[in-house]
Amino acid sequence: MTRYPKWAIHLGLAIICTLMLIPFYWVLKTSLTGENIFSYPPAILPENPHLFYYVDVWYSIPFFRYLVNSVVVSIIVVVGNVVLNAMAGYALTRDFTGKGSVIMLFLSCMMIPFQVTIIPAYLITKELGLLNSHLGMALPLCSTIVCIFVFKASFDAIPKSLIDAARIDGVPDWMIIFRIMVPLSQSAIATNIILAFIWSWNNFLWPLIIIRDNDMQTLPLGLARFLTVVEDTTGALYAFCIMVLVPGLMIFLLAQKQFIAGLTSGAAKG
Amino acid sequence: MLRWSFLLNRYVVTFGTIAVAAALWNLYIAFNDDGIVEGRVVGPSGQPVAGAEVILSERTLLVTEPRQRVTTDEAGTFTITGHRYHRVWLKAVKPEIGASPQTEYRLYFRGANLHLEEPLRLEAGAS
Repeated sequence: MTRYPKWAIHLGLAIICTLMLIPFYWVLKTSLTGENIFSYPPAILPENPHLFYYVDVWYSIPFFRYLVNSVVVSIIVVVGNVVLNAMAGYALTRDFTGKGSVIMLFLSCMMIPFQVTIIPAYLITKELGLLNSHLGMALPLCSTIVCIFVFKASFDAIPKSLIDAARIDGVPDWMIIFRIMVPLSQSAIATNIILAFIWSWNNFLWPLIIIRDNDMQTLPLGLARFLTVVEDTTGALYAFCIMVLVPGLMIFLLAQKQFIAGLTSGAAKG
Repeated sequence: MLRWSFLLNRYVVTFGTIAVAAALWNLYIAFNDDGIVEGRVVGPSGQPVAGAEVILSERTLLVTEPRQRVTTDEAGTFTITGHRYHRVWLKAVKPEIGASPQTEYRLYFRGANLHLEEPLRLEAGAS
């Protein structure tokens, strides 16, 4: 096997990283300068950078209100995902009649786009009286099939003898899940948290459909509204994008180790 | 020491730092948001201009709307108080001399105190 020198690998990775980070850098630079994005030749470094576009965003729309709404919905989604997916994942590790059919059903449901189920989802949310509410916004994302399989893969890696020992001691199923399985699946929890957070944070279509009040809007809806309020949009729009991106990016960077471990757990079993 | 060691993780440090920074920033705002704008008006040759009218305007979606007017004293200084904007436009006018160009001043928070380093300079013939 050919072994490449470490510096060459690092150089290659650094170049790829730089290329991938250029769009983010450009957004950040424009948010600090407000320069015309079509100007030629483009300035590589920001000229006279300032933070005033961020101030404009903060005061042009009720940013803090939108931020709180997004955070509340994301917390509900994250908690819902961890609890419900852990229970579903545990159920799929047990043997029962029709288990294969249930897994097939789950896998086939993953192929149905959300847009197709929007009308029934809306009608159910309406029947539950959850239109225009945080819980209503969170409901469709409270359990996701991908994350169920992340938990299943993680639970499959836990020795069966541990569960059998707990059963012999008379431990009920819910306690086996939350006292034994979940604490041993930290990477699966991190993956669930990050995926659920990002999906909820970026969700646009569902809140757009069920939210009527301006005060209940989330950040992605705020972004759409922002375009109608601010006249000089370039710098402020990019500043808004950075303000929306940062929380998700921060969560990912903080938990990236567990996130990657969670996605790869069970990938090389046996 | 051991009792608090669980706080030394990246989550607590990151969010704790953000919380402390936000608290300090709000404290700074609380002491500096009286909405005071102070400055001087000078003529074309740099001499202080008494009795010039200084107009503070706010930019709406399309136009700048005058919100406050004050007059300079003998030394050409003026003080505007109680504005609640984060972007203000200032212009000085003295009909016998001229007017200064309308200048935008951007602030980091609403009602931030502003001390103009450069005086508003009247230009002869401008209105």
